[in-house]
Amino acid sequence: MVAAAGLALAAVPAWAHHAFAAEFDANKPIRLQGAVTKMEWINPHAWIHIDVKKPDGKVEQWMIEGGTPNTLFRRGFTKNSLLPGTVIVVDGYQAKDGTQKANGRDLTLPDGRKLFLGSSGTGAPRDGRDPTEPKR
Amino acid sequence: MRTKLILGAVIAVVSLATAPAAGQATAAAGKASAAKRAGTPPRTPWGQPDLQGIWDFATITPLERPKELAGKEVLTAEEAAEFEQRTLQQRNPDRRDGGSQADVGRAYNQFWWDYGSKVVGTKRTSLVVDPPDGRVPPLTPEAQKRADARTAVRQGPPRGPEDRNLWERCILGGNAGPPMAPGPYNNNVQIFQTPGNVVILNEMINDARVVPLDGRPHVPPHIRQWRGDSRGRWEGNTLVVDTTNFGDEPNFRGATAKLHVIERFTRVNADTLLYEFKVEDPATWTRPWSAAVPMTKTEGPMFEYACHEGNYGMFNMLAGARAGEKAAAEAAKAGPK
Repeated sequence: MVAAAGLALAAVPAWAHHAFAAEFDANKPIRLQGAVTKMEWINPHAWIHIDVKKPDGKVEQWMIEGGTPNTLFRRGFTKNSLLPGTVIVVDGYQAKDGTQKANGRDLTLPDGRKLFLGSSGTGAPRDGRDPTEPKR
Repeated sequence: MRTKLILGAVIAVVSLATAPAAGQATAAAGKASAAKRAGTPPRTPWGQPDLQGIWDFATITPLERPKELAGKEVLTAEEAAEFEQRTLQQRNPDRRDGGSQADVGRAYNQFWWDYGSKVVGTKRTSLVVDPPDGRVPPLTPEAQKRADARTAVRQGPPRGPEDRNLWERCILGGNAGPPMAPGPYNNNVQIFQTPGNVVILNEMINDARVVPLDGRPHVPPHIRQWRGDSRGRWEGNTLVVDTTNFGDEPNFRGATAKLHVIERFTRVNADTLLYEFKVEDPATWTRPWSAAVPMTKTEGPMFEYACHEGNYGMFNMLAGARAGEKAAAEAAKAGPK
């Protein structure tokens, strides 16, 4: 049978505009919760700015790297879809240069829901496997 | 709350067909069969086949046939569905099974990607059609040496921007070609025609190629360009584009300035543009090879991809490398513990 063993592919690496491993430090995992101050809607990658309140009351400004705005546009997600003030939780890795930048490994709302929601089927949005997905 | 609203419902707002529908192109992809299938395509007012519009070439059909599928050229409908499902699962960055190194690469979830979710309509197991095993031919020994040297540089901290690839430097797009091969997003190309020229505009990095059709020769050999020098001609209903004069570092799989690309564009029906390419570079591959990528008509629009505008990533990579050097120097100065 081709189906069972034959289609077991090697893991496909993510292929972004640039190598995140050169920019972010796998030894510096971080978890941040903060309110969005702005979404920088720029190519090649969007950046989400958040204010993170530390236990001592100080506020740190962090930048979180995302993907291309073009794809978000096609999914109907616009600059106005993530408004300032929205509290998000970022699980990711800090920039290698030690500044307050991170890649958003997981972006969720405080209640655990994913910020950028794909299909519930394969993980790919609009793959037609999610019965609740609106028809095109 | 606005944010909540977008979470569930946003997906349908803009819809783009990202993959060719099943059956839109047929299995064989040789030039003769493509021309035969083309029938009578729509024509421009001046009588050329009309290839104009925005074409989407996203697909999860891999360029090369996976080794596990050796000997199997075409999938059944059932196998294709399973292949799609498995590929999407394996690409799903929400997986947590790779450790922190893999996690860094899986930086954001599938919502941000646009690979498409379907195999090509032919259900071929590779975009490569020649050699018949669906695999890119082996590299020559000298090309392998170049590839190893490149890998060594890419894996280390960058000394400067030149140590990173052309896409990271926003010089050329990863999938924009020539030749075009599907990538993770911005898999759109718009074609414009005039009687004397064709313009091929890729969404990735906003790359436009102006291709003269008047039979003029290529530019002289000493003129080398990032995307080469393209000349076009009509062969029946097929637009043939011949590209030479690449610089030392073409944006295609480690090829050299000797790269020669021949692309063939055939409108096989109203919604399908069959894009075929043949590449040769004796300094890189042990033989020429060819691939076929059916493209699907889409309403668009194309979006600007002003890569340099916000390429903070390059700054951050270089800053990270310098910070690493500084830390190493300080540790050396402090001496062994």
